[in-house]
Amino acid sequence: METLGFLMEGFAVALTPYNLMFALLGAFAGTLIGCMPGLGPANGVAILIPLAFTLGLPPETAMILLTSVYAGAMYGGRISSILLNIPGDEPAMMTCLDGYPMARKGRAADALAISAIASFSGGLIGTVGLIMLAPVLAKFALSFGPAEYFALFLLAFATLGGITGKNPMKTVIAATLGIMISTVGIDISTGTQRYTFGVLELYEGIDFILAIVGLFAISELLFFVESRMGHGREKVSVGKLTLSFRELVSTIPTQLRGGVLGFISGVLPGAGASLGSFISYTLEKQVLGKKGKFGEGDIRGVVAPEAGNNGASSGALVPMLTLGVPGSGTTAVLLAMLISLNITPGPLMFTQNADIVWGVIAALLIGNVLLLLLNIPLVGVFVRLLSVPPMYLLPIVTMVAFVGIYSISNSTFDLYFMVAFGIAGYFLRKLEIPVVPIILGLLLGPEMEKNLGHALVLSDGDWSILWASTLAKSFWLVAGLSLALPYLVGPLLRRRMNAAMKESPVSD
Amino acid sequence: MTGFGDRILGLGLMVLAVAYGWVAQQWPEPFGGAETVGPETFPTILAVVLVAGGIYLMIKPDPDAQWPLGKSALELVVSLLVLVVYAMLLEPLGFVISTTLAVGALSWRMGANPRSAFVTGLISAVVVFVLFNYGLSLNLPAGLLEVH
Repeated sequence: METLGFLMEGFAVALTPYNLMFALLGAFAGTLIGCMPGLGPANGVAILIPLAFTLGLPPETAMILLTSVYAGAMYGGRISSILLNIPGDEPAMMTCLDGYPMARKGRAADALAISAIASFSGGLIGTVGLIMLAPVLAKFALSFGPAEYFALFLLAFATLGGITGKNPMKTVIAATLGIMISTVGIDISTGTQRYTFGVLELYEGIDFILAIVGLFAISELLFFVESRMGHGREKVSVGKLTLSFRELVSTIPTQLRGGVLGFISGVLPGAGASLGSFISYTLEKQVLGKKGKFGEGDIRGVVAPEAGNNGASSGALVPMLTLGVPGSGTTAVLLAMLISLNITPGPLMFTQNADIVWGVIAALLIGNVLLLLLNIPLVGVFVRLLSVPPMYLLPIVTMVAFVGIYSISNSTFDLYFMVAFGIAGYFLRKLEIPVVPIILGLLLGPEMEKNLGHALVLSDGDWSILWASTLAKSFWLVAGLSLALPYLVGPLLRRRMNAAMKESPVSD
Repeated sequence: MTGFGDRILGLGLMVLAVAYGWVAQQWPEPFGGAETVGPETFPTILAVVLVAGGIYLMIKPDPDAQWPLGKSALELVVSLLVLVVYAMLLEPLGFVISTTLAVGALSWRMGANPRSAFVTGLISAVVVFVLFNYGLSLNLPAGLLEVH
């Protein structure tokens, strides 16, 4: 019941008109970001960080804004899946399978409405799960020592590629590069200057915000320039809403199953929203068997993945808030915001910054309601914005990124740095080195080093302390397994996901 | 040869790792004597991991990516130049003028016709400038347009 009390306080924070306004703004911007091509959720949140920062928003408001954007992006991804058969973001991939056929049959409006409702219930289930699980996990995490944390960070890196990831070694390389960048600057414990080469701007280290914006936004622009996809897509009409109440009721079991499965895969490291929606869809197909017409525009084929990916997006906040270890790109970016607000993420946040944690959680609940309200009547607006060609959109997005970075420090030095990170990001992504582990390395590097130091001081220099406790041992084991599994089951899973995509008769 | 890109990357990473590790060994011992974990411990571990990663890439490279050639490559270089010049001119020319030029040039190169590209640039520049300087009271440089 303690939790309920905290939640009430959270609502008190989130329901102030000021915070409510930012939640609404975030939800709207998030849906836009989700549905626009070339502007994924991680990218969108990354560009908004410097803005939230320079606006001088109080920490809870800044976090509420960004969490609403995050939740909104998960809603937005479905719009282009359904109307154009092109997922707006990766987790919305499975929504194409039945959403697009529904749209072709003239039921686009129904598909959009039911998927908004499914997103809502998925998000709601996920948030309820978050409320129940997070405090328990935070309490448990209080017993972690530095050695356990060190092992946990390794685990986070190892699972980041996910079991469907292609080459785990490239994840390791990316993470190492990120941690290496984080060692630039004056060493906190000894005061030694590391890799500064006498450049004054490097003494305080490299600001991860500009690294994030460069790696995401600038490299995305370069990718679009290269692919010459500037021209966007044709306009689509949505049609009339014919969804009946009975049909809506008939999807309730699917919504529940999808939401729960999604939440679980969101919490688990290495699974994430894409796998969440995949599992929910596949399970639904198996449960309903021949009764459904999956792949031909079955309404439950739209509901299951949408409930799944929104459940997963709330689930992914659990490890980020309780352990300070994000499991996905977007939650990594949210962690960056927390760190730059001088809030130490991890179990202590639940006691020291209870107002922020519970404010964010309450905002997530409110945000879901707002998103449902926004998404049903305003779907026409979003659809129209979908046809804004990237050739106008991306330069403006890049400009906003420049403005944000410039206004943090009012120096153009940071802008050159950001462009350099963009170029590096372009080459690395071309070589299939994932960008997210680099960012996570940047964020977690200092913490990792600190915990390593503490552990070795405690053990008087005995390195075996790092895997002495059972808990640390199991972290090492899981980390090792997640690096090995992609070689064993990865190809199989990937083939299945691809096969599922191809089975759909209209995947043109 | 396939996997050329990965092999070069692997080699580059190894060179980087060795240089990074070597620099770490040059730091003076911190005041108060050496501890188990000095400033060089963690970087040394990282260097070793990265050397291993580089060797792995050289032995088992993935198939090559499609690299842009000719016109695409040129477009990329042009876009990068636009970004660098934008950063350079932001303060001297002021936000509105430099943004109009930068956004306009980028959209034009991405396929918009020049007029609508630069009009988009101008509109977005003015909107953002007004929003930031008057709405949010941040300071974007006015540059040439500054009223004395």
